[in-house]
Amino acid sequence: MPRNNQLLHFAFREDKQWKLQQIQDARNHVSQAIYLLTSRDQSYQFKTGAEVLKLMDAVMLQLTRARNRLTTPATLTLPEIAASGLTRMFAPALPSDLLVNVYINLNKLCLTVYQLHALQPNSTKNFRPARGAVLHSPGAMFEWGSQRLEVSHVHKVECVIPWLNDALVYFTVSLQLCQQLKDKISVFSSYWSYRPF
Amino acid sequence: MRTSLQAVALWGQKAPPHSITAIMITDDQRTIVTGSQEGQLCLWNLSHELKISAKELLFGHSASVTCLARARDFSKQPYIVSAAENGEMCVWNVTNGQCMEKATLPYRHTAICYYHCSFRMTGEGWLLCCGEYQDVLIIDAKTLAVVHSFRSSQFPDWINCMCIVHSMRIQEDSLLVVSVAGELKVWDLSSSINSIQEKQDVYEKESKFLESLNCQTIRFCTYTERLLLVVFSKCWKVYDYCDFSLLLTEVSRNGQFFAGGEVIAAHRILIWTEDGHSYIYQLLNSGLSKSIYPADGRVLKETIYPHLLCSTSVQENKEQSRPFVMGYMNERKEPFYKVLFSGEVSGRITLWHIPDVPVSKFDGSPREIPVTATWTLQDNFDKHDTMSQSIIDYFSGLKDGAGTAVVTSSEYIPSLDKLICGCEDGTIIITQALNAAKARLLEGGSLVKDSPPHKVLKGHHQSVTSLLYPHGLSSKLDQSWMLSGDLDSCVILWDIFTEEILHKFFLEAGPVTSLLMSPEKFKLRGEQIICCVCGDHSVALLHLEGKSCLLHARKHLFPVRMIKWHPVENFLIVGCADDSVYIWEIETGTLERHETGERARIILNCCDDSQLVKSVLPIASETLKHKSIEQRSSSPYQLGPLPCPGLQVESSCKVTDAKFCPRPFNVLPVKTKWSNVGFHILLFDLENLVELLLPTPLSDVDSSSSFYGGEVLRRAKSTVEKKTLTLRKSKTACGPLSAEALAKPITESLAQGDNTIKFSEENDGIKRQKKMKISKKMQPKPSRKVDASLTIDTAKLFLSCLLPWGVDKDLDYLCIKHLNILKLQGPISLGISLNEDNFSLMLPGWDLCNSGMIKDYSGVNLFSRKVLDLSDKYTATLPNQVGIPRGLENNCDSLRESDTIVYLLSRLFLVNKLVNMPLELACRVGSSFRMESIHNKMRGAGNDILNMSSFYSCLRNGKNESHVPEADLSLLKLISCWRDQSVQVTEAIQAVLLAEVQQHMKSLGKIPVNSQPVSMAENGNCEMKQMLPKLEWTEELELQCVRNTLPLQTPVSPVKHDSNSNSANFQDVEDMPDRCALEESESPGEPRHHSWIAKVCPCKVS
Repeated sequence: MPRNNQLLHFAFREDKQWKLQQIQDARNHVSQAIYLLTSRDQSYQFKTGAEVLKLMDAVMLQLTRARNRLTTPATLTLPEIAASGLTRMFAPALPSDLLVNVYINLNKLCLTVYQLHALQPNSTKNFRPARGAVLHSPGAMFEWGSQRLEVSHVHKVECVIPWLNDALVYFTVSLQLCQQLKDKISVFSSYWSYRPF
Repeated sequence: MRTSLQAVALWGQKAPPHSITAIMITDDQRTIVTGSQEGQLCLWNLSHELKISAKELLFGHSASVTCLARARDFSKQPYIVSAAENGEMCVWNVTNGQCMEKATLPYRHTAICYYHCSFRMTGEGWLLCCGEYQDVLIIDAKTLAVVHSFRSSQFPDWINCMCIVHSMRIQEDSLLVVSVAGELKVWDLSSSINSIQEKQDVYEKESKFLESLNCQTIRFCTYTERLLLVVFSKCWKVYDYCDFSLLLTEVSRNGQFFAGGEVIAAHRILIWTEDGHSYIYQLLNSGLSKSIYPADGRVLKETIYPHLLCSTSVQENKEQSRPFVMGYMNERKEPFYKVLFSGEVSGRITLWHIPDVPVSKFDGSPREIPVTATWTLQDNFDKHDTMSQSIIDYFSGLKDGAGTAVVTSSEYIPSLDKLICGCEDGTIIITQALNAAKARLLEGGSLVKDSPPHKVLKGHHQSVTSLLYPHGLSSKLDQSWMLSGDLDSCVILWDIFTEEILHKFFLEAGPVTSLLMSPEKFKLRGEQIICCVCGDHSVALLHLEGKSCLLHARKHLFPVRMIKWHPVENFLIVGCADDSVYIWEIETGTLERHETGERARIILNCCDDSQLVKSVLPIASETLKHKSIEQRSSSPYQLGPLPCPGLQVESSCKVTDAKFCPRPFNVLPVKTKWSNVGFHILLFDLENLVELLLPTPLSDVDSSSSFYGGEVLRRAKSTVEKKTLTLRKSKTACGPLSAEALAKPITESLAQGDNTIKFSEENDGIKRQKKMKISKKMQPKPSRKVDASLTIDTAKLFLSCLLPWGVDKDLDYLCIKHLNILKLQGPISLGISLNEDNFSLMLPGWDLCNSGMIKDYSGVNLFSRKVLDLSDKYTATLPNQVGIPRGLENNCDSLRESDTIVYLLSRLFLVNKLVNMPLELACRVGSSFRMESIHNKMRGAGNDILNMSSFYSCLRNGKNESHVPEADLSLLKLISCWRDQSVQVTEAIQAVLLAEVQQHMKSLGKIPVNSQPVSMAENGNCEMKQMLPKLEWTEELELQCVRNTLPLQTPVSPVKHDSNSNSANFQDVEDMPDRCALEESESPGEPRHHSWIAKVCPCKVS
């Protein structure tokens, strides 16, 4: 990590666990979808089309949420990043003027490092805390503890993860399959209530 | 929502769908609460004999309900909390269905536990929540704000289920949770309250991996304080609470999935499955003494095994549907039962009474416990079918025995008071909404039933799915146009006046799911266009003038969720259910762009901004209202699977609607998701009604017509007004007659309207601009003058709905006779709304649920038992004041009867205002109000309201009320008192109405007894009084005070003369002394009002 022309090395701590929330959430949503689909006996017969539609709705809800977790990283404020468990996950501990955020955006794993410097209490700059964002730009300000800090440099590293790409494609395909099943069933829905007169 | 809005539900024959997703029984075992996929909560009454009956439907959530829980110590406050898929949380008062608190958090909860530790905590306690987020959230039970969270240091994950353990032995409360991955964690609760309040991190005390997935329930055995029952979907396990050692594992057989369980006694557990079965097991200890503390779990593991005692199962029926949500309620006090309950997706509730000591059969085989009670919403509808007919059911007679027509879509046109109903068989019925409602609600309306003018449009061959009345959205479009779409993707443009088909569009794209219109600012070739969303996710744009289809966008893979218009570049922006966006160029019909993800979201948000920018233009504010209605109404139809559209959005749509155009009467068609069952809600705007009913000075009408030069339409209206007025004056128009009379002018004015469309178009623009400038006083007035007799009819229907029919037979008779209103067919389903987005509707048969309701009162339109007491109290304070118009004549005079109605309504309005007024406001107003020295704050506030509600009469009187007499204040005080005692508005209104009517009718009843020829003079006198509905009564009180100081007899005789002369043309005078006795109290007020009356209606005095 370049800082004052010297490299700093950090490693994840061995004694603590940290999970990328997006992946965990996406996994949990998918496993809920799987549970919904498998919680019926093999021999179970669906009795009405509406029953299938409702099941598909529930499954699609979980799949959409899983996909959205990967496609839309959380917009965090700088104090939220500072308070997150990730900052305490490194050995040796991060210096106080560094903030780190890791997130997934589509098929990319992103690491952002914010270099901070403290604002003088009597500085002429008018202090305006930055709102939540995926990526904060230099100049964003925030209050942490009793200190007012400003982002001086932002470094961002991205890394494409192939299996994330696959996962997103599978999400899209499975959602389309579900929708097609729903469409096919609802074609008949007009006949459910149909009666000759 | 306007506080003066009263709603009455007109249910159809079919109950609205209620797919139960959560169920609970309140601690007093009187109420079952269910939450549904549709987003509503239902309150079911549970009688002492374990009979179920649905009571009330609560509207508050806009998405599927995920969980329900107690939100307070139930014996103190009967509150529960509900959470929905979209993060909404509501706290409800179960006894009256009010929503006490609402919040939307970015968390989806799947389970909530209420925790309160009285000696360590201030406030109302915590809601411990878990769901689709890491660890456990702590939410304040009162404010619904996040307090803090319990963090886990090891394997943070979503939590599936939890329970609170109160252990007497350790004197410590603990929170036990099981995570999605099967990790059991324990937090100290009571000892960490302080650190939570100081926002310190609290980590788990212990954690253990349970080696199974999909945990459903975790329960602690409070009897032995030893065992821990954990139910997974494929097995259930028993652990030793002391060291979490596994004692027993029972795997599910024959493919069943466990859904939950409970410890019902020491070593006795109840397990239930997702398909509605349940099993009671005895946990047997084989031989080994319990006193030996097992150092090793394995020793005990061999010694405990389950023995099946009993089982339950639901009755087989074809509607049966999975999954079941079940729960168990333990016995608490003597009259309480051990109850196992289940709710199904189909909406059925089933109850089992679990015996105190469940035993197996003699041969050791399990005994089957029979179902104790089962019920659905539909059962309520079937049982009380007199009240549950849809609004147009009386047309069924016309359809030679084909059964009743199922209404699949409906639309209300406020400007014409017409209700358009599209039926399942493809016919469209257009009817006068008020008449339809009357025929539906009132008894003995054979007169009404035969006559209601209605039109039947035949053109569709399939069920009508959507309707649109373009003129209602933009006044620039032809008033006669109406669009309807059917299942067969055929859209018909009708002329509703001539019943002609102007054009048929064949789209060939599946059912037409919704018809929308482009906003006013969006024009193509100078015309607004119609957007038609179809079942195959395509969108068609129709040009009505050119009778052509401009564009048929067919590329969408997912259901259309949102339609936006880009006026500058002529783009149609379609948002789909999968969050993708399609941008179509309207002129060329080409797909311009297709975006997904973040960019799609930005595009949709951008459009919002542009609309907002436009609306800054001064003229557009009216348009904006249009737009907001349109957009709101556009969203519910298109919402796909995720957030449930249905009722919620519609009800909010209604709010804007009502604000946009205050009318005394409105019909709101409501449709729910996943079914074509709909129902209607009648909305009465009490304030507007009173406003319109108060004897309007004719000058108002004159000025309005002179205002806008040669505006034919308006003049036509005003002539109608005059005509009906004269009708009333000539005393020939009784109820039904006037209705007929009304029908004529309306058609007349419509015809004129047709001819002058162009003309009125221009005027409309001017009018709108003027409207902006005119002061607030003018604004609330509806742009179109509502017909006077229509208003009276509305008022009558409203009173019919509110009167407690059946409480007193004589009173009923007198009401029918003297007020000329009809009796209800049965108790109405009232809708109660307390704030903007919460709303509750009574279900048919709710009257049987009222606790303490005497059996005789079944079928009586009494909102609650309290009403009678309240009414008595009210009557007790009433006699002090004498100025109230009483003593109606036997010969039913429409004018007098309408005056009585006006009086009653204004009274109700006052009560409504008083009860609805928030306490803080009352205090604030009170303090700022000029004080009459002695009056305390409350009185001052009341005084103010009084002035507020009666400011119309004030204005007309031209003088300001400066003094409110004591007698009246006592009434105000009483009503304010009710508010403090949380008496519901409807109860208060009904109580006051009952008391007033009783008073009124009592004096009526007396007259024939005392002296059969009732003097007309008195009558005339009364008329005067009634003409001055609101403030006069207070004025009179004031006078009454004055009179008290004066010798009584002196004013009487001159006044008498005066009144006699007034009524000389009506009748001669006889029986002076008798009348004298009756009148003397009222007469002093006379001379003062005389001049006023002369001003208001000159023809009367002469």
